[in-house]
Amino acid sequence: MAARPTTPASPKNVKVNSPVPGTPLFGCEHVQLLLSNSQDVTNSSIQYYKMLLRVIFDKDPLISQTSKASDGQITTSLTSNYLCLQCSAILPEEERVKHGNKKSHRFYVDSRNGSLFCQFCEDFVWDPTLEDLRIRKMGTGSFSNRKRKHEEMFSDAVKDSIKEEQRYINANTTAASCRADGLRGIYNAGATCYQNVVLQSFLHNPLLRNFYLSDGHQSSDCHVPHCLSCAMDDMFQDFYALENTNGYTAANILSGFWISEKKAFENLVTTKEQDAHEFFQFLAEELHERNGDGKRPETGSEHSCNCIIHQTFYGKLQNQTTCQNCGGVTNAVESFLDLSLGLENLARRKSKKEPKTELSLTLQDCLDEEYIKSDKCEYRCRNCNSSQQARRDHSIKLLPNVLSVQLKRFEFKQGGRDRAASKIRTKVQFPLQLNMLPYTTRGQSESASQELNRSCIYDLLSVVEHVGEIDTGHYMSYCRVGDQWFSFNDHRVELANKSAVLGSQAYLLFYIIRSLA
Amino acid sequence: MASSMNSGKAGVINAPDDAGSMDQLAHAVVDDLLYNIVHDLLVKVHRDEKIARAATAAIRVEKLASDASDSSTPDARPDVKVETDAAIYDEGKVLLKGNPLITTKDIVCPRCHLPRLLYPTDGKGARKPDPSIIYCKKRPYIDKPGYDIYGQTWVAQGPGRGKKKKDMEKKVDPNTPADSPTPASEGANTGGGGAASRPPNMLSFPSATCSKCKRCILVTRLNNHMGSCIGNSGRNASRAAAQKISNGNANGNGDGTPPNSQKGTPLPGSRAASPKKRDGDEMDEDEATDNDAHKKKKLKPMVASVNVNKKLIVKPKVGAGTKKEKAQKNDDDDGPTVEVAPKKKITKVSSPAKKLKLGGVKPLMSSPLAKSNGKVTVTSGNTGDDAASESSGTLSSPPAA
Repeated sequence: MAARPTTPASPKNVKVNSPVPGTPLFGCEHVQLLLSNSQDVTNSSIQYYKMLLRVIFDKDPLISQTSKASDGQITTSLTSNYLCLQCSAILPEEERVKHGNKKSHRFYVDSRNGSLFCQFCEDFVWDPTLEDLRIRKMGTGSFSNRKRKHEEMFSDAVKDSIKEEQRYINANTTAASCRADGLRGIYNAGATCYQNVVLQSFLHNPLLRNFYLSDGHQSSDCHVPHCLSCAMDDMFQDFYALENTNGYTAANILSGFWISEKKAFENLVTTKEQDAHEFFQFLAEELHERNGDGKRPETGSEHSCNCIIHQTFYGKLQNQTTCQNCGGVTNAVESFLDLSLGLENLARRKSKKEPKTELSLTLQDCLDEEYIKSDKCEYRCRNCNSSQQARRDHSIKLLPNVLSVQLKRFEFKQGGRDRAASKIRTKVQFPLQLNMLPYTTRGQSESASQELNRSCIYDLLSVVEHVGEIDTGHYMSYCRVGDQWFSFNDHRVELANKSAVLGSQAYLLFYIIRSLA
Repeated sequence: MASSMNSGKAGVINAPDDAGSMDQLAHAVVDDLLYNIVHDLLVKVHRDEKIARAATAAIRVEKLASDASDSSTPDARPDVKVETDAAIYDEGKVLLKGNPLITTKDIVCPRCHLPRLLYPTDGKGARKPDPSIIYCKKRPYIDKPGYDIYGQTWVAQGPGRGKKKKDMEKKVDPNTPADSPTPASEGANTGGGGAASRPPNMLSFPSATCSKCKRCILVTRLNNHMGSCIGNSGRNASRAAAQKISNGNANGNGDGTPPNSQKGTPLPGSRAASPKKRDGDEMDEDEATDNDAHKKKKLKPMVASVNVNKKLIVKPKVGAGTKKEKAQKNDDDDGPTVEVAPKKKITKVSSPAKKLKLGGVKPLMSSPLAKSNGKVTVTSGNTGDDAASESSGTLSSPPAA
């Protein structure tokens, strides 16, 4: 705590900035007394709250979960303890009132989530200043925020001009209706459900949404005829600015899709049902070309660009090949748009092992198979100058902001007739929260710090489900908006609960990194 | 932990009295975890609710303050002190009085400052809203089987609209569970074709404009239409190719008939649309235009083929340089000599207007056509000029081939 220089300006700044219209300045009258008493008390209170948050979120939970009762008995509990904001006591819930009456300490911090409890109110209080610190600590693990530093650099004069600008914006724009929340269905234009599910997952992707709503690609400034990115821009506008609640007609997307001349996706452009994953790849490439450096993202090469699609979806894979003869190691790095996970072998192996139980895999099983276990291959070693057995290890070198996972639900059966494709119906359980650290190059080599661990946590964002047979069927999707899940079945949008989402037979999964959200 | 209690904090999961100490510990752990889960859920809901109510108190008192100060600059912070039951406004600062969960009973939207409707109007947990209050437009989502989150439902896609049977099965299957609660009403609609019998929140499928031929297509057929209009699929494509070849070879000769028959072929969708089975109003309009065009085209080839040939003999003389262009123009305009001219003008107008205009113009045009040949030649002459004058401008996007 002492290491951190006391910056009287920083807590003061929080207060000065605080009078936001529409929110009270303090969480309750009592916090107001505490924080507006004198600058010293304010500073020490806020610093101490920060320290408690650090104890709670960075240190071993054993510390904050262990309390000493008044009779000297030391207990570690699973349920919340209360950390006194005015002294170093850690108390179980029962002791809190006693401590408060004895010492007149009235503020406590919940040991499991860092929330502030006011004993006068006998309630949790959500003070804007302190809550801001807590949220930031939980999200990114640090209190500082680049934006804030940026703001501080501005002199007051610039601040005034920002205010002026705000006034200008208020006077010259109309706010979108409160109804426009981006929840609309998309009509099926005749076997286009494979497009709709991908479009919905793009629409509810916060990164893409912010890009398009902040005029990342203005359709009025773009002169490319039948530009798909313009069509996306129009669609985002229609979803987030209009009050309409009926379905959306993705006519421009569709015509852009028909007009687009991409050799690789030529056979995708038909009136027939198609693969949603292929459409996802198509859309990603097309939008990359419209927004990025225009180079074709060649798979297999380490191509990187700063377009929104690359920033959102692309990560890097590392393939390490170790020669079994000389031990020489070659590394190859390639960028990826999504992770394709095979189910076929895993399902077969597992059903042999446990033939009776109903087959069910977890997403982690599939990831383990692909990115932790190594496989063998033939390889021409430069050192040995001959063809050798080699071991290959795959790992993820750079995680994307939005991780897209495809579960390969198709296999070719060597049946009596020709090789016919069939669908793998194996249930794959996937978590709402996914830690990717074990699959990264760094996670496999180093012992991971809590910070690194936190930066690899992903939250489920949307799920694309396929029902029906391999050659015909229907796509539906689930997307999360805030904490609420919605199911999208073409033009029909319904509320969905988590169990429905997790019980679905997922084909595509989109996870978003937590530290960003 | 494993003290004298044989349960955790929640006290829900109790170990039997004769359980061993490990057993008791396990029960206590599960019980504590249950307590934590409930605690976390409650804290989250509590936080959302309390912050929203505190904001409500703040917004209310700010409103009062700005009313009290009635200064000319609305966004400047008035230097007044106003007090409500829930908050104090003091020189730009809002200070809470008491616990907002007790002092404030409802929630106003932080953006539009209208009260939020707190219960859905239909389905699970529904309550009747107070009709005298104007609520914020963001409403709780409706959870009702067969209806979407806004309480809307759709006219089911029934058979008999030019859909292949296979398509139908495919499309309806996944929907059936959701649709099943309202089969009666939907059945009535498709059968009777009465838009009036439909509940107000039941929507029909809209139409969209094809970006290439600017025709209005029912959304469910859009993909198929684009396939034949833009993409090279469908039988029209082969005809288009045949047409191109014939145009390239002989200007005047072979072009009279093939385009006609092609034009006469209706859109893939509109073919089987039998009027009595239609249901949507928009669709009615839409198909009406389609059907009209269809009927007219069926009429015309007989009349027009005569005229067109006549005209085509005249045409080449007019402009020798642009002969091919114009001929082609006329080919495209083909039988519709009568019909296409208005259409052309209209393509320049925005699409909704186009639909209306087409509807209005048609009866005018079709009646002389039916009456006598003499009149038609006049109109066809006009359209010919029209087409010629416009040919340079619109050549890039000829009517659908």
